[in-house]
Parts: sequence; structure tokens; C-alpha cells
Amino acid sequence: MKLKTYLMGGAALAMMASMAHAGDVRITVAEYSSKTGPYFDKMAAEFEAANPGINIDVEVTPWDVLLQKLTTDIAGNANADLAIIGTRWLLDFVDQGIAEPLDGYIDDEFSGRFIETFLSPSVMDDQIYGLPVAASARAMYYNKALFEQAGLDGPPETWDELAADAKAISDLGEGISGYGLQGKEIETDVYFYYPMWSYGGNILNEDGSSGFGSDAAIQAATLYKSLIDDGLTQDGPTAYSREDVQNLFKQGKVGMMITAPFLANQIKDEAPELQYGIAPIPAGPDGDRGTYGVTDSIIMFANSGNKDEAWQFLDYLFTQGPRSEFTLGEGFLPVNQAVSEEPAFADNADLNAFAGVLPDARFAPVVSGWEEIADVASSALQRVYLGEESPEDAMSRAAKEANRILGK
Amino acid sequence: MNEGTAHSAAGPAQRSAARRRHAVPYLLIAPALVLAAVIVLWPLTVIGNISLHDVNRFGQLRGFSGLANFAELWRDPDFIATLWRTLIWTIGVVGGTLILSVPVALVLNRDFHGRALARVIIMLPWSVSVTMTAVVWRWALNGESGMLNSALRAGGITESNIVWLSSAATAFPIQIGIGILVSIPFTVTVFLAGLSSVPEDIYEAASIEGASSWQQLRTITLPMLRPFMTLAVVLNVIYVFNSFPIIWVLTQGGPANSTDILVTYLYKLAFRFGQMGQAAAVSIIMFAILLAITLLYVRLVTKTEAKS
Repeated sequence: MKLKTYLMGGAALAMMASMAHAGDVRITVAEYSSKTGPYFDKMAAEFEAANPGINIDVEVTPWDVLLQKLTTDIAGNANADLAIIGTRWLLDFVDQGIAEPLDGYIDDEFSGRFIETFLSPSVMDDQIYGLPVAASARAMYYNKALFEQAGLDGPPETWDELAADAKAISDLGEGISGYGLQGKEIETDVYFYYPMWSYGGNILNEDGSSGFGSDAAIQAATLYKSLIDDGLTQDGPTAYSREDVQNLFKQGKVGMMITAPFLANQIKDEAPELQYGIAPIPAGPDGDRGTYGVTDSIIMFANSGNKDEAWQFLDYLFTQGPRSEFTLGEGFLPVNQAVSEEPAFADNADLNAFAGVLPDARFAPVVSGWEEIADVASSALQRVYLGEESPEDAMSRAAKEANRILGK
Repeated sequence: MNEGTAHSAAGPAQRSAARRRHAVPYLLIAPALVLAAVIVLWPLTVIGNISLHDVNRFGQLRGFSGLANFAELWRDPDFIATLWRTLIWTIGVVGGTLILSVPVALVLNRDFHGRALARVIIMLPWSVSVTMTAVVWRWALNGESGMLNSALRAGGITESNIVWLSSAATAFPIQIGIGILVSIPFTVTVFLAGLSSVPEDIYEAASIEGASSWQQLRTITLPMLRPFMTLAVVLNVIYVFNSFPIIWVLTQGGPANSTDILVTYLYKLAFRFGQMGQAAAVSIIMFAILLAITLLYVRLVTKTEAKS
């Protein structure tokens, strides 16, 4: 009996020794830009100065390997107390009991700080599991100089107009293409959802099955394929990731592309001469349109040993000053109501253009296996762009594959 | 059995001495065996165990599932295609490397003016990480602003830009080519070591006897290089089969999985789709294939050596 008590005491001691020092809060953050690391270090220093006894440890991880790092950390039971994650991964974290519900800490004052649209994707089963830290939506960038040269007076309102404008710009020659089409790596599928939404399609049908086989999806894929065949996009879109197309836009080699607010920041730094405008995503024949909304959230781990200290740090991060500095530095959309009303944001024409499309924002569906479904769609589109498969065949095969993953 | 009866016929003292003699080699290799067990067998059993379970995306086991993960892989046409492509990749890179490395090593083994510089140039790619090499190639192969297209157009070889990475037809051969380029330094080093072990006087004797340099190459140099060839083949096969950065950086296995090899496929399964169980199954299959190839090759080589 006594031996057993000793053993248990020893085990408890060993466990305590392996646990983090009381008052230590580790946070894993994604590296959005070279400013991210210094920003969080500064926040940690300011917070530590105001809260003696709490020590903040910041781990900066590049986006590409963030999910891999979190996965291995969790598998090895060596995860931090807080982490930034893509909100579209949240379902798995909640299902497996990895993320701690935050409702116990949140009062009305705190939840009132957020813009509702951006907080809602982090709510599951009526519980808040994450706090939106970065938000972005997509809109269409167009090169004003090229539009002028081609004799066009403004950005296209519909996809039919877009095709006509792309033709006029491509006819300028000199290796310039009308529409920059992404066909490689992350968000290849998203680039196709824009026309699909405009034609009235959805990623998931009402019954939860895949909408990739719908008429709208096939119309959208057919539209992109015809743009490629008519030479209205850059050559070989399947070799161009989002960053590659953005580079083409910065070089003035494509007339239009759809991407996130951060391109405006990059243009300011790298191509300040470029005359560009930001417009909503073109509408479909019935006036439908949709843009892609993305948020990243900070979650608290359920196995954290210092939840109260971790929460104190979160509370600080989500006050107006720190939020404003982060959002401005990284070029995201404000997620805090008060921040969005600051002159730096309210008077910024680029950000206003993005704020204008928010009512049309759609988020990645909350289903497990989403990344795999997105990959199925991307692969199907790549086969269409390469001409290996017709839009009908590729998209109905993608729908079948997606339904298998969805269990429908 | 015969041995056993022979032993029991001998006296007890002899028997224990014999036993001690038998034990010595085992004792001597024991530390190496223990080390191998810790760094190879232990992870292997863990991965084997994962591959037989239903696993969540965080690597936590959720119940025994038998061979379901393996069955799921066989059902996936992408996996089968990837399996074949991995063989083409491995044979292409290793074969190409060997074919190019032998003449390079022969030239570098000659004494000529500037040999030291030539050796440095050949070895240089070795000092750069493969990932970095691949990143540089990704820029060079960019369809619109890549150096390769600029060079080809400036040289009047092509008229318009070729988008190298847009389809497997151009991307995969280029990836194999880069694979060959980064494997050459190691292989040449191995061959140079082999060539320096061939005594000069054999060649002298051969040329006095009137052997042409082609005959010398075929009957002296290549046979003397054979053990080094074996080493280069086995190590390169293992390394290339598992090589991740070139394909990942250039195409991530795309478009539409058309340049995936097993290791990039595995990475996507594990860290993008969260299918840890299937990813572990791919690991086990890769291990089995490599083990089989290596054993087969080494046995083949020792057999032909024994014959000659």
C-alpha cells in the first residue's frame, strides 16, 4: 500500500516537473510577414511589464509548416498553451477535444469588440473556440493603365464583361494577358469558386453533399477553360501559384486578378508606380456573386496548464492598440469594430473596397476532410486547364470523390 | 542437426570453449544491434502500429482497424500511379547519375592542368542544400520571367516562352534532371575513391601488352570499380527513393498529382489531409520496397562476384 502511494507521489512529481513553470504561457504564431515575429515579441514584452510573474514565450512558425508543427506537437503532447490556426482546421481541433471552449472567459464587453462576421466562423455548437486574429476577403484587382490603353472605362461587372475586357487587354500584345488565372498550389480551388458562386453554385448542397457536379460548377470550369483556350489568361496557368500570379500583376503583365488585401501592401512596397483599382468580384447572369472570406483564429489548448494567464494575454492582444498595430502592419481587414473605425482604416480606399464585398463573403465549409475535398477540386480543375478532361467529366468525378470523403 | 551430434560427441570442456568462440562475434556486434534496434526497429514498430489503427489527424490512436488503411490505399488510383512514378523517378535519377558519373570520374582522375578547380566545380552542388537548389530552379523555370526561357530565347533556340512546370510532360523530366545533377557529386566522389585504388602498374602492363584504352577501361577499370558501383547504386537508390525537396518545391506533386512520388504523396496524406493511418501505411510500404530492392541487388551482385 505504502509503496503504491510512494509510486503515485513520484509519478505526480514527475508530471509536475514535466509541466511548464507556473506563469509561463507559450504561444505558437504563424509568420504572416517579416513583421509578425517582432510584433509578437513586442506585445509579449509590454504584457510582461504590466503583469509581473507571467512569462510569454513566442514561437514563430512559417505558414507552410504550421499545421505540420501543430500536428506533431499535439501528437507528442508538447503543444503550446495558445496557437494561431486556420479557422478551417478548427473543426478537427474541436472534435478531438484539443481546443478549449472560451465562453467561460468571454463576457459581453469582450465579444462586443469583434465584427460579428469574423467571429461567427469560430463558433461551433454554440461555443466560441477561437478568436479571429487575422481576417481577409478577396476582391478583384485591375490594372488601370492597361484598362485605359485597351479603351475600357472601368472594371467588369459580370463574367461576360470580364471575358470581353480580357480580350481587349490581351489584344494589346507584348506578352500581356487579360486575366491572371491561378492553377497551382494552395487556393487553386478557391479561384474557381468565384465564378461558381456567381453562377449560383455552392461548395456544398443543402443536403450536405458536394456541389462540384452542379451546372454552375461546370459552367464556371467551362468559362475558365475557354479563357485559357482563347489566350485571355497567361500561358500554362497550372504552373502559376497565387504568388506567381501576383508577381505578374505587379509587373503589369496581367490586367486583372482576384486576391486578398495584402497584394495592395506588396504593390506599395515593390511596384509603387502601378496604377491599380480594386473592384468586387464580377456577378453572374442572375446577379449572384460571392467572395471568399478567411479568418485565422487563436485557440487555447484544452491541456494547457496556465489557462488563466493565457487568457490574460489574449485579453491584452485583443484590445484596440495591439489589434490596430497588427492589422495595419500585416495588411489584414480589421476584426475589431473600434479598429475599423480608426482613420487609418476608415479612410483607406483599398480596405474600403474589401469591406464593401464582405456582405458576399463565404467561408470554407465546416466539414471534416475539407482540405482533402479542396485538393480533389484543385486536381479536377488542373485536369480541365490542361485539357486532359472535359469540364463535365472532371467536375462530376470531383463531386463523386468529394461525396465519398463527406460520407454522402 | 549433424553439427549438434558432432558437438555432443565431443568432451564438455571442448564444448564450452566452442560455445565461447561462437559467442564472441555476437558479443562484438551486440552494441551495433542494440543501436540499430533503437533507431530503426523502434520507430518501425510504432509506425507499423499506427498503420493498423484508425488514427485522428493528431496521431492519436482511435481503435484497431486491421488492414483498412492499406486497403484504402489500393483503392486510390493516385497511389498506384504514384507507385509506378516513384520507380521511374528512382531508376531515372540513379541510372542517369551513374551513366554521367563514370566519365566525369574518369576525367577527374586524369592528371591535367586545372584539375583541382574542375573537381571543386563538380563538387559544388553538394555544398548547397537540395531545397535551396530546387528553389533556385523554380525561379529559373518560371514561364514568364525565368532565366531558362530568357537564355533559350536569347540563344535563338526557342521563339516563345515555355511554361516548364505547367504539365508533367515537361516538369517531371526536368525534376529527374535536377535529381541527377544533385546526385552526381556524391557518386563521383565514390568513383574517384575507387579509381585511386586501382594500381597504376596494371595499366602500364596492359599498354605494354598492346591493350587499347577502350580495352583497358572495359577489362581493368570497370571491373575494379564494381564494388564501388554497388555502393553507389544502393546508397543512391535509398536516397533518391526518399527524396522530397525537388518535387515538393517545384510542383508539390501537381498538377493533378501527375508528378507525385511516394514521399510527397505521404506528406500530403499526413500533414495536409490528416490521414495519419494511411500515411503510416505508405511509410511501411516504402520501407518494404526499399528493403526488397536493396536485398535483391546486393544478393545479385555478390552472386555475380562469386561467379567471376
